[in-house]
Amino acid sequence: MQRSRTTAWTLLLLVLTLCGAGAAHAKPWWMRGIESNDTDFLPPDVAFRVAARLDGKVVKVRWVIADGYYLYRQKISVKAESPDLVVAAAELPPGITKTDPYLGTQQVFTQQVEAIVPYSRLDAGAHPIQIKVTYQGCAEAGLCYPPITKVVFPSLGLPAVAANVPPYPWESAAIVAGALAFLLAGLVLRKGRKLDIPA
Amino acid sequence: MNTAGLRFLGAALIALVGIWLGVKFHLGRHDHEGVSVPAGVASVPYPTEDAALQAAEAPHPVIPAKLPDFSLADLAGRPTSVSSWSGKSLVINFWATWCAPCQREIPLLRALAAEWSGRNLTVVGIAVDHADKVREFAGRFKIDYPVLIGEQDALDVAAQFGMGSPAFPFTVFTDQRGEVVALFVGELHRPQADFILSQVQSLNQDRIQLPEARRAIAEALSALANKPG
Repeated sequence: MQRSRTTAWTLLLLVLTLCGAGAAHAKPWWMRGIESNDTDFLPPDVAFRVAARLDGKVVKVRWVIADGYYLYRQKISVKAESPDLVVAAAELPPGITKTDPYLGTQQVFTQQVEAIVPYSRLDAGAHPIQIKVTYQGCAEAGLCYPPITKVVFPSLGLPAVAANVPPYPWESAAIVAGALAFLLAGLVLRKGRKLDIPA
Repeated sequence: MNTAGLRFLGAALIALVGIWLGVKFHLGRHDHEGVSVPAGVASVPYPTEDAALQAAEAPHPVIPAKLPDFSLADLAGRPTSVSSWSGKSLVINFWATWCAPCQREIPLLRALAAEWSGRNLTVVGIAVDHADKVREFAGRFKIDYPVLIGEQDALDVAAQFGMGSPAFPFTVFTDQRGEVVALFVGELHRPQADFILSQVQSLNQDRIQLPEARRAIAEALSALANKPG
């Protein structure tokens, strides 16, 4: 009985340890602050996520903006990157008016914004469509990011799905780990049964 | 609970660990999908409303212990080394002309430069911008402390402070031995500046050790950040 209890506690500890290991990539509180460059601000690619998709004769470019961040409307531009592509000016909805004592009145976007960009192709699709998007934004808490320019491949109407992804090397390890865990579980149960058989 | 029950519980826990490992690695595999596009090209899927919540963890570059040596052009275009202020405490403010919070900080930085000028402390601005814009801006905002200017070279300096993916403003505080006491990212306000400079002063007077000062600054900044209003 005592041994069983010990086994159970050991297993519980094992689970807790593994769960803890899963969270270990987060920096512990005693290492945060002045010793490193931890801040409450997000990296720009997390604060402003951008992607595009084709929808008939237009490219729709969407930015998802983290809470507490904003993009300047006048700093958003979309240009053709592939040689056979011609794009019109991006159509943007009106933004929120923001007044700054130094920069004056600006239109900004929060949460998310979608630009509609009509396009045409000169060579009937010999090249994959690529666009170049530029945008710039800030955090309300007082931090601004330099203008960001990215080349984006618009997806074909549906959310982008990666194709031809090589097998991830950890997948087989995960299967083996799962199988071993079930084997171990079976052995523990089997051992328990044997112990409970009266002499 | 009897022995069989405990063993069943143990077996169930082991099985759960196996499932947890499988799910973890399976999710890890999906995190790496979509990378088969040329380098430098955005590969995010069309973002959904909650996509911003799936934030990747920010990198944690380490701030240098000592002020690195670097040289940038001043407002007149003369190369100026940061070592020309050797032996002084420094408040090094990285900024850009297009950045609203950087502009809002300038009156405070001018005030600090004036208040601390007799106490062996210098405020230095590092403008990451085009030189002509910076000169016009410095005149319009009456910046009377030294300003260094750079584009890629200034970005390289920013990277030496762990700001390789730069955002502005950010401010580095050093003591008179050239030890980096604090790096403040975002718009600097009077309470934060006053507290950090009080610690710099204590360090300069050997009344406190660097780890202690850093700890006190971290706690004070956290308390100020959580202060309502």
